Amino acid sequence: MSAISPPFRLCADIRYRQIADEGIVLRQQAGEVLVLNEVGARVVALLDEGLAPPGIVARLAAEFDADPGRLAIDVAGFVAELRAAGVIEEEACS
Amino acid sequence: MSYQALLAKAVNGNIPFSVLLELTYRCNLDCYYCYNDRSNGGRSLSVAQYVSLFADLRELATMNLTFSGGEPLAHPHFFTLGARARALGFVIRVKSNGHRLNGRLARRLLNEVDPFVVEISLHGASAATHERQTQVAGSFGRLLTNLEQMQALGLRVQLNSTLTAWNEAEMDAMDALAERMALPLRWNMQITPRDNGDRAPLDIAASPQAISRLRGLLEQRRGTETTIDLDPPPPWGKYCGAGASGLTVDPWGNVYPCVQWRVPAGNLHRENVRDIWERSPVLQAVRVRTEALATTVKARTAGAAKEWFCPALVEAGSGEGKLLLGSI
Repeated sequence: MSAISPPFRLCADIRYRQIADEGIVLRQQAGEVLVLNEVGARVVALLDEGLAPPGIVARLAAEFDADPGRLAIDVAGFVAELRAAGVIEEEACS
Repeated sequence: MSYQALLAKAVNGNIPFSVLLELTYRCNLDCYYCYNDRSNGGRSLSVAQYVSLFADLRELATMNLTFSGGEPLAHPHFFTLGARARALGFVIRVKSNGHRLNGRLARRLLNEVDPFVVEISLHGASAATHERQTQVAGSFGRLLTNLEQMQALGLRVQLNSTLTAWNEAEMDAMDALAERMALPLRWNMQITPRDNGDRAPLDIAASPQAISRLRGLLEQRRGTETTIDLDPPPPWGKYCGAGASGLTVDPWGNVYPCVQWRVPAGNLHRENVRDIWERSPVLQAVRVRTEALATTVKARTAGAAKEWFCPALVEAGSGEGKLLLGSI
Protein backbone atom coordinates (compact mmCIF):
# COMPACT_ATOMS: atom_id res chain seq x y z
CA MET A 1 0.00 0.00 0.00
CA SER A 2 2.81 2.37 0.81
CA ALA A 3 3.99 2.44 -2.82
CA ILE A 4 0.74 4.09 -3.81
CA SER A 5 0.11 5.97 -0.58
CA PRO A 6 1.96 9.24 -0.49
CA PRO A 7 1.18 11.75 2.21
CA PHE A 8 -1.72 14.01 1.38
CA ARG A 9 -2.71 17.48 2.42
CA LEU A 10 -5.94 19.41 2.36
CA CYS A 11 -6.34 21.39 -0.86
CA ALA A 12 -5.86 25.13 -0.49
CA ASP A 13 -9.54 26.00 -0.71
CA ILE A 14 -10.62 23.43 1.87
CA ARG A 15 -11.72 24.49 5.33
CA TYR A 16 -12.23 21.75 7.87
CA ARG A 17 -13.38 21.45 11.45
CA GLN A 18 -14.44 18.64 13.70
CA ILE A 19 -17.70 19.39 15.50
CA ALA A 20 -18.18 16.95 18.35
CA ASP A 21 -17.53 13.61 16.60
CA GLU A 22 -18.51 14.74 13.10
CA GLY A 23 -16.45 16.57 10.53
CA ILE A 24 -17.42 19.45 8.31
CA VAL A 25 -15.59 20.26 5.12
CA LEU A 26 -16.19 23.44 3.13
CA ARG A 27 -14.94 23.59 -0.44
CA GLN A 28 -14.61 27.35 -0.63
CA GLN A 29 -14.44 27.76 -4.37
CA ALA A 30 -17.43 25.55 -5.03
CA GLY A 31 -19.27 26.76 -1.94
CA GLU A 32 -20.08 23.16 -1.08
CA VAL A 33 -20.26 21.58 2.34
CA LEU A 34 -19.55 17.94 3.12
CA VAL A 35 -20.44 16.43 6.47
CA LEU A 36 -18.39 13.44 7.56
CA ASN A 37 -19.20 10.78 10.09
CA GLU A 38 -16.93 9.98 13.01
CA VAL A 39 -14.53 7.75 11.13
CA GLY A 40 -14.45 9.97 8.06
CA ALA A 41 -13.75 12.97 10.25
CA ARG A 42 -10.92 11.11 11.95
CA VAL A 43 -9.37 10.16 8.60
CA VAL A 44 -9.39 13.77 7.43
CA ALA A 45 -7.96 14.96 10.74
CA LEU A 46 -5.13 12.43 10.46
CA LEU A 47 -4.47 13.39 6.84
CA ASP A 48 -4.32 17.00 8.01
CA GLU A 49 -1.75 15.95 10.61
CA GLY A 50 0.39 14.69 7.74
CA LEU A 51 -0.13 10.96 8.12
CA ALA A 52 -0.06 8.80 5.01
CA PRO A 53 -2.78 6.14 4.61
CA PRO A 54 -0.73 3.31 6.19
CA GLY A 55 -0.23 5.41 9.31
CA ILE A 56 -3.91 6.28 9.35
CA VAL A 57 -4.86 2.61 9.15
CA ALA A 58 -2.59 1.82 12.08
CA ARG A 59 -4.05 4.64 14.17
CA LEU A 60 -7.65 3.75 13.35
CA ALA A 61 -7.02 0.08 14.05
CA ALA A 62 -5.83 1.02 17.52
CA GLU A 63 -8.52 3.61 18.18
CA PHE A 64 -11.52 1.65 16.89
CA ASP A 65 -10.26 -1.86 17.57
CA ALA A 66 -10.94 -2.75 13.94
CA ASP A 67 -9.42 -5.23 11.52
CA PRO A 68 -6.43 -3.56 9.77
CA GLY A 69 -7.04 -5.43 6.52
CA ARG A 70 -10.62 -4.24 6.28
CA LEU A 71 -9.59 -0.76 7.37
CA ALA A 72 -6.89 -0.54 4.70
CA ILE A 73 -9.49 -1.20 2.00
CA ASP A 74 -11.95 1.30 3.46
CA VAL A 75 -9.33 4.01 4.00
CA ALA A 76 -7.98 3.59 0.47
CA GLY A 77 -11.49 3.93 -0.92
CA PHE A 78 -12.26 6.95 1.19
CA VAL A 79 -8.98 8.65 0.32
CA ALA A 80 -9.74 8.10 -3.35
CA GLU A 81 -13.15 9.71 -2.86
CA LEU A 82 -11.60 12.68 -1.09
CA ARG A 83 -9.11 13.12 -3.92
CA ALA A 84 -11.82 12.89 -6.54
CA ALA A 85 -13.87 15.48 -4.64
CA GLY A 86 -10.94 17.87 -4.54
CA VAL A 87 -10.65 17.76 -0.77
CA ILE A 88 -7.09 16.43 -0.62
CA GLU A 89 -4.10 16.34 -2.92
CA GLU A 90 -0.72 14.69 -2.86
CA GLU A 91 1.95 16.51 -0.92
CA ALA A 92 4.39 18.08 -3.35
CA CYS A 93 7.76 16.32 -3.35
CA SER A 94 10.49 18.43 -1.90
CA MET B 1 -25.72 13.70 8.97
CA SER B 2 -26.84 16.92 7.31
CA TYR B 3 -25.32 20.37 7.71
CA GLN B 4 -28.43 21.49 9.61
CA ALA B 5 -28.08 18.57 12.00
CA LEU B 6 -24.46 19.49 12.53
CA LEU B 7 -25.44 23.08 13.33
CA ALA B 8 -28.00 21.78 15.79
CA LYS B 9 -25.22 19.78 17.39
CA ALA B 10 -23.17 22.96 17.76
CA VAL B 11 -26.07 24.90 19.27
CA ASN B 12 -27.18 22.15 21.61
CA GLY B 13 -23.63 21.23 22.58
CA ASN B 14 -22.43 24.82 23.10
CA ILE B 15 -19.75 24.73 20.42
CA PRO B 16 -18.78 28.25 19.25
CA PHE B 17 -19.10 27.45 15.57
CA SER B 18 -19.30 31.09 14.43
CA VAL B 19 -17.53 34.06 15.93
CA LEU B 20 -17.88 37.70 14.90
CA LEU B 21 -15.01 40.06 15.57
CA GLU B 22 -15.67 43.79 15.54
CA LEU B 23 -12.07 44.75 14.84
CA THR B 24 -12.54 48.50 15.00
CA TYR B 25 -15.32 51.07 15.06
CA ARG B 26 -13.31 53.34 12.78
CA CYS B 27 -15.02 53.79 9.44
CA ASN B 28 -14.54 55.83 6.30
CA LEU B 29 -18.30 56.21 5.88
CA ASP B 30 -20.77 57.69 8.33
CA CYS B 31 -23.93 55.65 7.95
CA TYR B 32 -26.90 57.21 9.66
CA TYR B 33 -28.24 54.04 11.23
CA CYS B 34 -24.92 52.49 12.21
CA TYR B 35 -25.49 50.55 15.43
CA ASN B 36 -21.94 50.86 16.78
CA ASP B 37 -21.52 52.81 20.00
CA ARG B 38 -18.63 54.96 18.88
CA SER B 39 -18.55 56.77 22.21
CA ASN B 40 -17.51 53.48 23.78
CA GLY B 41 -13.81 52.94 24.26
CA GLY B 42 -11.10 50.97 25.93
CA ARG B 43 -7.79 49.31 25.22
CA SER B 44 -7.75 47.68 21.81
CA LEU B 45 -6.74 44.04 21.56
CA SER B 46 -3.18 43.67 20.32
CA VAL B 47 -2.17 41.50 17.38
CA ALA B 48 -0.68 39.02 19.85
CA GLN B 49 -3.98 38.83 21.71
CA TYR B 50 -5.86 38.20 18.48
CA VAL B 51 -3.40 35.49 17.51
CA SER B 52 -3.91 33.85 20.88
CA LEU B 53 -7.68 34.21 20.49
CA PHE B 54 -7.57 32.54 17.06
CA ALA B 55 -5.62 29.60 18.45
CA ASP B 56 -8.11 29.21 21.30
CA LEU B 57 -11.06 29.43 18.92
CA ARG B 58 -9.58 26.79 16.67
CA GLU B 59 -9.27 24.48 19.64
CA LEU B 60 -12.88 25.22 20.53
CA ALA B 61 -13.84 24.11 16.97
CA THR B 62 -14.83 27.53 15.68
CA MET B 63 -15.17 27.33 11.93
CA ASN B 64 -16.66 30.67 10.82
CA LEU B 65 -14.79 33.84 11.65
CA THR B 66 -16.37 37.11 10.58
CA PHE B 67 -14.35 40.31 10.48
CA SER B 68 -16.67 43.22 11.04
CA GLY B 69 -16.52 46.74 12.36
CA GLY B 70 -16.86 49.64 11.82
CA GLU B 71 -14.98 49.02 8.69
CA PRO B 72 -12.70 46.03 9.38
CA LEU B 73 -10.23 47.11 6.70
CA ALA B 74 -9.64 50.28 8.74
CA HIS B 75 -7.93 48.15 11.41
CA PRO B 76 -4.20 48.84 11.06
CA HIS B 77 -3.35 45.12 11.18
CA PHE B 78 -6.29 43.77 9.21
CA PHE B 79 -4.15 41.84 6.73
CA THR B 80 -1.90 40.38 9.41
CA LEU B 81 -4.96 39.13 11.28
CA GLY B 82 -6.66 37.91 8.14
CA ALA B 83 -3.62 35.96 7.02
CA ARG B 84 -3.26 34.39 10.45
CA ALA B 85 -6.90 33.37 10.48
CA ARG B 86 -6.52 31.89 7.02
CA ALA B 87 -3.48 29.88 8.12
CA LEU B 88 -5.53 28.41 10.94
CA GLY B 89 -8.18 27.24 8.51
CA PHE B 90 -11.10 29.46 9.46
CA VAL B 91 -13.89 30.16 7.00
CA ILE B 92 -13.49 33.91 6.81
CA ARG B 93 -16.24 36.40 6.14
CA VAL B 94 -15.54 40.09 5.80
CA LYS B 95 -18.32 42.61 6.34
CA SER B 96 -17.19 45.78 4.60
CA ASN B 97 -18.65 48.94 3.14
CA GLY B 98 -16.46 48.26 0.08
CA HIS B 99 -15.27 51.86 -0.07
CA ARG B 100 -11.57 50.97 0.06
CA LEU B 101 -11.79 47.68 -1.77
CA ASN B 102 -10.29 48.93 -5.00
CA GLY B 103 -8.06 46.84 -7.25
CA ARG B 104 -4.95 46.77 -5.09
CA LEU B 105 -6.63 46.16 -1.74
CA ALA B 106 -9.09 43.73 -3.25
CA ARG B 107 -6.18 41.75 -4.65
CA ARG B 108 -4.46 41.74 -1.26
CA LEU B 109 -7.70 40.56 0.33
CA LEU B 110 -7.94 37.67 -2.09
CA ASN B 111 -4.29 36.67 -1.98
CA GLU B 112 -3.56 37.16 1.71
CA VAL B 113 -6.88 36.51 3.45
CA ASP B 114 -8.81 34.42 0.91
CA PRO B 115 -12.23 35.04 2.44
CA PHE B 116 -15.12 32.74 1.71
CA VAL B 117 -17.32 35.78 1.15
CA VAL B 118 -17.11 39.56 1.30
CA GLU B 119 -20.39 41.06 2.45
CA ILE B 120 -20.86 44.58 1.14
CA SER B 121 -23.48 47.08 2.29
CA LEU B 122 -25.71 48.55 -0.40
CA HIS B 123 -27.97 51.38 0.77
CA GLY B 124 -29.78 52.35 -2.39
CA ALA B 125 -30.00 51.98 -6.14
CA SER B 126 -29.03 55.58 -6.80
CA ALA B 127 -26.23 57.82 -5.66
CA ALA B 128 -28.71 60.15 -3.98
CA THR B 129 -30.17 57.42 -1.78
CA HIS B 130 -26.99 55.47 -1.09
CA GLU B 131 -25.04 58.60 -0.20
CA ARG B 132 -27.83 60.06 1.91
CA GLN B 133 -27.26 57.03 4.07
CA THR B 134 -23.46 56.87 3.96
CA GLN B 135 -23.10 60.66 4.20
CA VAL B 136 -20.07 60.47 1.89
CA ALA B 137 -20.29 62.00 -1.58
CA GLY B 138 -19.14 59.74 -4.37
CA SER B 139 -19.45 56.56 -2.30
CA PHE B 140 -22.07 55.01 -4.61
CA GLY B 141 -20.11 55.30 -7.84
CA ARG B 142 -16.98 54.14 -6.09
CA LEU B 143 -18.78 51.14 -4.67
CA LEU B 144 -20.06 50.05 -8.08
CA THR B 145 -16.55 50.32 -9.52
CA ASN B 146 -15.07 48.37 -6.62
CA LEU B 147 -17.73 45.67 -6.86
CA GLU B 148 -16.83 45.10 -10.49
CA GLN B 149 -13.15 44.85 -9.62
CA MET B 150 -13.81 42.41 -6.79
CA GLN B 151 -15.87 40.21 -9.07
CA ALA B 152 -13.26 40.36 -11.81
CA LEU B 153 -10.65 39.15 -9.33
CA GLY B 154 -12.80 36.23 -8.30
CA LEU B 155 -13.81 37.34 -4.83
CA ARG B 156 -17.15 35.94 -3.76
CA VAL B 157 -19.29 38.97 -2.98
CA GLN B 158 -22.69 39.28 -1.36
CA LEU B 159 -24.68 42.49 -1.00
CA ASN B 160 -26.40 43.26 2.30
CA SER B 161 -29.16 45.85 2.40
CA THR B 162 -31.24 47.12 5.27
CA LEU B 163 -34.68 48.35 4.33
CA THR B 164 -35.17 51.95 5.46
CA ALA B 165 -37.61 54.77 4.90
CA TRP B 166 -34.97 56.30 2.67
CA ASN B 167 -34.50 53.36 0.31
CA GLU B 168 -37.85 51.59 0.42
CA ALA B 169 -38.94 53.27 -2.83
CA GLU B 170 -35.86 51.75 -4.49
CA MET B 171 -36.44 48.20 -3.28
CA ASP B 172 -37.10 46.88 -6.76
CA ALA B 173 -34.29 48.92 -8.29
CA MET B 174 -31.84 47.58 -5.70
CA ASP B 175 -32.92 44.05 -6.51
CA ALA B 176 -32.49 44.79 -10.20
CA LEU B 177 -29.06 46.29 -9.61
CA ALA B 178 -27.95 43.17 -7.74
CA GLU B 179 -29.33 40.96 -10.46
CA ARG B 180 -27.59 42.99 -13.15
CA MET B 181 -24.31 42.54 -11.31
CA ALA B 182 -25.05 38.85 -10.70
CA LEU B 183 -24.65 39.34 -6.97
CA PRO B 184 -26.82 37.85 -4.24
CA LEU B 185 -28.66 40.48 -2.20
CA ARG B 186 -29.60 39.71 1.36
CA TRP B 187 -32.23 41.97 2.91
CA ASN B 188 -32.55 42.92 6.52
CA MET B 189 -35.89 44.41 7.41
CA GLN B 190 -35.06 45.73 10.81
CA ILE B 191 -33.10 48.77 11.85
CA THR B 192 -31.82 48.40 15.38
CA PRO B 193 -31.06 50.93 18.12
CA ARG B 194 -27.40 51.74 18.62
CA ASP B 195 -25.50 49.57 21.03
CA ASN B 196 -25.67 52.34 23.63
CA GLY B 197 -29.46 52.30 23.45
CA ASP B 198 -29.74 55.40 21.25
CA ARG B 199 -32.91 54.94 19.24
CA ALA B 200 -32.15 57.65 16.67
CA PRO B 201 -31.60 55.09 13.84
CA LEU B 202 -35.22 54.04 14.24
CA ASP B 203 -36.21 57.45 12.84
CA ILE B 204 -35.61 55.99 9.38
CA ALA B 205 -37.25 52.63 9.95
CA ALA B 206 -39.08 51.41 6.87
CA SER B 207 -42.85 51.81 6.67
CA PRO B 208 -45.04 48.84 7.57
CA GLN B 209 -46.24 48.79 3.96
CA ALA B 210 -42.70 48.50 2.63
CA ILE B 211 -41.83 45.80 5.15
CA SER B 212 -44.94 43.89 4.17
CA ARG B 213 -44.08 44.25 0.49
CA LEU B 214 -40.52 43.03 1.02
CA ARG B 215 -41.85 40.15 3.06
CA GLY B 216 -44.03 39.21 0.11
CA LEU B 217 -41.14 39.38 -2.30
CA LEU B 218 -38.94 37.25 -0.08
CA GLU B 219 -41.76 34.80 0.49
CA GLN B 220 -42.04 34.33 -3.27
CA ARG B 221 -38.37 33.49 -3.38
CA ARG B 222 -38.42 31.06 -0.50
CA GLY B 223 -36.66 27.97 -1.65
CA THR B 224 -34.36 29.75 -4.05
CA GLU B 225 -33.03 32.28 -1.55
CA THR B 226 -33.37 32.34 2.19
CA THR B 227 -33.43 35.12 4.66
CA ILE B 228 -33.23 34.63 8.36
CA ASP B 229 -36.05 37.10 8.89
CA LEU B 230 -38.51 34.74 7.28
CA ASP B 231 -37.15 31.46 8.45
CA PRO B 232 -39.04 29.74 11.24
CA PRO B 233 -37.03 28.87 14.32
CA PRO B 234 -34.85 25.85 13.59
CA PRO B 235 -35.52 22.64 15.46
CA TRP B 236 -32.87 23.24 18.06
CA GLY B 237 -33.00 22.78 21.79
CA LYS B 238 -32.35 26.51 22.02
CA TYR B 239 -34.28 29.28 20.27
CA CYS B 240 -31.11 30.75 18.75
CA GLY B 241 -27.37 30.31 18.82
CA ALA B 242 -26.61 33.32 21.04
CA GLY B 243 -23.87 32.29 23.41
CA ALA B 244 -24.32 28.68 22.31
CA SER B 245 -22.95 28.37 18.78
CA GLY B 246 -21.52 31.83 18.48
CA LEU B 247 -20.25 34.94 20.17
CA THR B 248 -19.14 38.47 19.36
CA VAL B 249 -15.99 40.31 20.40
CA ASP B 250 -15.76 44.11 20.30
CA PRO B 251 -12.52 46.04 19.60
CA TRP B 252 -11.71 46.25 23.31
CA GLY B 253 -11.98 42.57 24.00
CA ASN B 254 -15.48 42.53 25.44
CA VAL B 255 -17.15 39.24 24.64
CA TYR B 256 -20.91 39.17 24.01
CA PRO B 257 -23.35 36.30 23.44
CA CYS B 258 -24.06 37.70 19.97
CA VAL B 259 -23.89 40.92 17.99
CA GLN B 260 -27.30 42.02 19.32
CA TRP B 261 -27.07 40.77 22.88
CA ARG B 262 -24.75 43.45 24.26
CA VAL B 263 -24.33 42.09 27.77
CA PRO B 264 -20.60 41.51 28.32
CA ALA B 265 -19.80 37.93 29.25
CA GLY B 266 -16.13 38.69 29.90
CA ASN B 267 -13.13 40.57 28.59
CA LEU B 268 -10.13 39.13 26.77
CA HIS B 269 -7.74 41.47 28.57
CA ARG B 270 -8.58 39.63 31.78
CA GLU B 271 -9.30 36.06 30.72
CA ASN B 272 -9.08 33.80 27.70
CA VAL B 273 -12.02 32.93 25.53
CA ARG B 274 -12.15 29.32 26.68
CA ASP B 275 -12.62 30.39 30.29
CA ILE B 276 -15.30 32.87 29.25
CA TRP B 277 -17.03 30.31 27.05
CA GLU B 278 -17.05 27.62 29.70
CA ARG B 279 -17.58 29.65 32.87
CA SER B 280 -19.29 32.95 32.16
CA PRO B 281 -22.50 33.27 34.18
CA VAL B 282 -23.85 35.58 31.46
CA LEU B 283 -23.42 32.94 28.75
CA GLN B 284 -24.86 30.28 30.99
CA ALA B 285 -27.87 32.50 31.69
CA VAL B 286 -28.38 33.23 27.98
CA ARG B 287 -28.30 29.51 27.21
CA VAL B 288 -30.92 28.86 29.89
CA ARG B 289 -33.06 31.69 28.51
CA THR B 290 -32.87 30.51 24.90
CA GLU B 291 -33.67 26.95 25.95
CA ALA B 292 -36.70 28.18 27.85
CA LEU B 293 -37.73 30.37 24.93
CA ALA B 294 -37.53 27.44 22.52
CA THR B 295 -39.82 25.46 24.79
CA THR B 296 -42.24 28.37 25.22
CA VAL B 297 -42.46 29.17 21.52
CA LYS B 298 -42.86 25.52 20.63
CA ALA B 299 -45.72 25.15 23.12
CA ARG B 300 -47.49 28.38 22.12
CA THR B 301 -47.26 27.77 18.38
CA ALA B 302 -47.78 24.03 18.55
CA GLY B 303 -44.36 23.71 16.91
CA ALA B 304 -45.54 25.56 13.81
CA ALA B 305 -44.01 29.01 14.26
CA LYS B 306 -43.93 30.79 10.93
CA GLU B 307 -41.21 33.31 11.58
CA TRP B 308 -38.15 33.84 13.64
CA PHE B 309 -37.50 36.81 15.88
CA CYS B 310 -34.39 38.00 17.66
CA PRO B 311 -34.83 37.70 21.43
CA ALA B 312 -32.15 40.27 22.15
CA LEU B 313 -33.77 42.86 19.91
CA VAL B 314 -37.18 42.26 21.39
CA GLU B 315 -35.76 42.69 24.84
CA ALA B 316 -33.86 45.83 23.88
CA GLY B 317 -36.79 47.26 22.00
CA SER B 318 -40.24 46.83 23.40
CA GLY B 319 -39.47 45.27 26.71
CA GLU B 320 -41.91 42.50 25.83
CA GLY B 321 -38.98 40.14 25.56
CA LYS B 322 -38.50 40.44 29.26
CA LEU B 323 -41.79 38.63 29.73
CA LEU B 324 -40.31 35.69 27.86
CA LEU B 325 -36.69 36.03 28.74
CA GLY B 326 -36.64 37.50 32.18
CA SER B 327 -33.73 39.78 32.93
CA ILE B 328 -30.08 38.86 32.95
